[in-house]
Amino acid sequence: MTDTPAGRDPTAQAPLCPTGGDSAPLVVTTRIDDLVNWSRENSIWYLLFATACCGIELMQTGGPRTDLDRFGAVFRSSPRQSDLLIVAGTITYKMADRVRLIYAQMAEPRYVMAMGSCANCGGLFQQSYSVVPGVDAIVPVDIYLPGCPPRPEALNEAILRVQDLMKSEHWASRRQGRGNP
Amino acid sequence: MTPAEIRERVSAACPGAVEEFQADLLDPVLRLRPDRLREVCRFLRDDPGLRLHYLRLVTGIDRPAAADSETPGGIDVVYHLWSYELRHGCQLRVRLDRANPVVETVSDLWPDANWYERECFDLLGVTFAGHPGLTRLLMPADWVGHPLRKDYARPERYHGLPTSRATVLAEGRAAEVAPAMHDTKAQPIEGYLRLNMGPHHPATHGVINFLLETDGEILKKATPDVGYLHRGIEKLAEQVGYVGTMPYTDRVDYLGAMFTNHGWALAVEKLLGVEVPRRAEFCRVIASELNRIASHLISTGSLAMDLGAFTPFLHWIRERETINDIMERICGARLTYNYLRFGGVSRDIDPETLDKIKHWIDHFEPMMDEFDRLISSNEIFVRRLAGVAVISPADAIAYGLVGPNLRASGVAWDTRRDEPYSIYPEFAFDVVTGRAVHGTLGDAYDRYDCRLREIKESLKILRQAMAAIPEGEARVKVPRPKPAANEVYARVEGPRGECGFYVVSDGTEKPYRARFRTGSFTAMTIIEHLSPGLMLADLVALIGSLDVIAPEIDR
Repeated sequence: MTDTPAGRDPTAQAPLCPTGGDSAPLVVTTRIDDLVNWSRENSIWYLLFATACCGIELMQTGGPRTDLDRFGAVFRSSPRQSDLLIVAGTITYKMADRVRLIYAQMAEPRYVMAMGSCANCGGLFQQSYSVVPGVDAIVPVDIYLPGCPPRPEALNEAILRVQDLMKSEHWASRRQGRGNP
Repeated sequence: MTPAEIRERVSAACPGAVEEFQADLLDPVLRLRPDRLREVCRFLRDDPGLRLHYLRLVTGIDRPAAADSETPGGIDVVYHLWSYELRHGCQLRVRLDRANPVVETVSDLWPDANWYERECFDLLGVTFAGHPGLTRLLMPADWVGHPLRKDYARPERYHGLPTSRATVLAEGRAAEVAPAMHDTKAQPIEGYLRLNMGPHHPATHGVINFLLETDGEILKKATPDVGYLHRGIEKLAEQVGYVGTMPYTDRVDYLGAMFTNHGWALAVEKLLGVEVPRRAEFCRVIASELNRIASHLISTGSLAMDLGAFTPFLHWIRERETINDIMERICGARLTYNYLRFGGVSRDIDPETLDKIKHWIDHFEPMMDEFDRLISSNEIFVRRLAGVAVISPADAIAYGLVGPNLRASGVAWDTRRDEPYSIYPEFAFDVVTGRAVHGTLGDAYDRYDCRLREIKESLKILRQAMAAIPEGEARVKVPRPKPAANEVYARVEGPRGECGFYVVSDGTEKPYRARFRTGSFTAMTIIEHLSPGLMLADLVALIGSLDVIAPEIDR
């Protein structure tokens, strides 16, 4: 313990509740918006909705190198527990109903990220007879993440952009642009 | 036996059945009278001198009458047969009336024909008389028209949903969730519980749906419902041409993109008659084997994850990151490589990358043992897999299983060794087969075990290839491909088995018809057969051990 200031017991534990002065508790003041948004943005539970190639990069992003967990973002398998729907891949007409259903099952406030070109606009498969040209034809999209497939770094950045969105929420209102302000 | 000899035998046994023998094609074809098809098929399968027990592919080709010609149009249905025992094969074809295409089913002779015929009905509108359940396979049930017909036009809207991006933008993107198009609930039946498992389910490896009928925990039947990722790549190939299709093949199997690249390149090179330089072949093999390892890592890791063990998956994801880095050095992409070119590869592998691969192998080989200690003999893991969903060798062949799934049932067949392509004959490696680790040959554990051992074989090939890689060009200049009218079937051994490309050319820069034969498609057909009596949780082990992925099934 070479860096310990002389005269201080290095084994002494810090008090659980930081005190100002002798024994008066330290009071932290904040706005309720900030408190709610702070907790929300640091626990983004995203739905593991890997439909195609992008799903593999989504898995790699959750893996040890990029490690989305450090932002409190972990995957869930149930839409009812999720805050963020990452549409990772192509959506076909046969799948469209299921996307709609999954979105409807998520609790407000909910966010949608279109990951990769297919989810953005149909991408490589825009001319195909069976592919929905962009998931924003079915559900409202908050973040468009380009790439085919996007790199883990890009997905990481997109999660930070979702955090920025969350910071601007007002607790008493439904999400902006969703009909009921 | 050559196709000509097979034709002699067929003509002798079923006189008048063969209408034409097209010997000038790269893969000769026997054209049969449609009303004699079943008779000939039965003979080909049961004759002791032929024993064509493996139905490799059934597909259709739409040939509308040309505007300026007298010849009537028609729809060809093509059957590719193969015998593992006698190592020969042949192709059959029937020409059907385009207005009313009907032919008898062969799904009772080869069970995997069931799905091939359903797909043919779905995409080309061919009716197979006597088929047990001829419904659409890939497209939604209420879809109008048959997309692979040459005169098919994409509808403007489907249930009010625009089909072009321009319309979506013009009408404004969805501000609220769009209304439902169909009722997706599983319809209840008497006496059993009916459930949807999927298409969004963490254990189905992509968007695959299973309609379950269960009695408590015991399955009465699990019926796969696919097509949720049908992206129409084969139709797109007809539109974008030979060169443009290469990136699309990446998306046919995104875990083994190097193999779909390779298969496509082989098919077109066969049509063009192009020779590939030796250094390019080595580059292809090195990249392919790395890709095989990466794919098996995902397969074995996610199998463990499906059974509740998350840590092994993270180990393999970490190793796969390094492979991704190497792949990025080799071809510039982490996942969708687009590495191969007709006549070589897009860029050479530099010595520094080879060093990196060597370092990684040295690091990875001990990791294999660590992985084994972590999970392979774990009591829970073993009990979840041993003796579950046993596939007999005869079933494996009849259902058209390929690759590790076939080998795990004891059939020693590896395209790299038995129908050699590229420079694989120069390398020493073993074809791993199931060894009944826990007492039953062909159970889910054997399939897992085979994949792990195949990783070791791939490492062997990698070491040999890197030691022997010659100097030279990695690519020869090939002019824009415009092959003469012909047909070819090229195959490579992918991580999910035989990855075949059936290409019909017509003398233009675009393929007339391309059909990708993939391992997952046939692996799905056996699930319905194996499911009765399984526990619900065993279905997850079965799906995971077959290593099916959605884009390979649906394309």
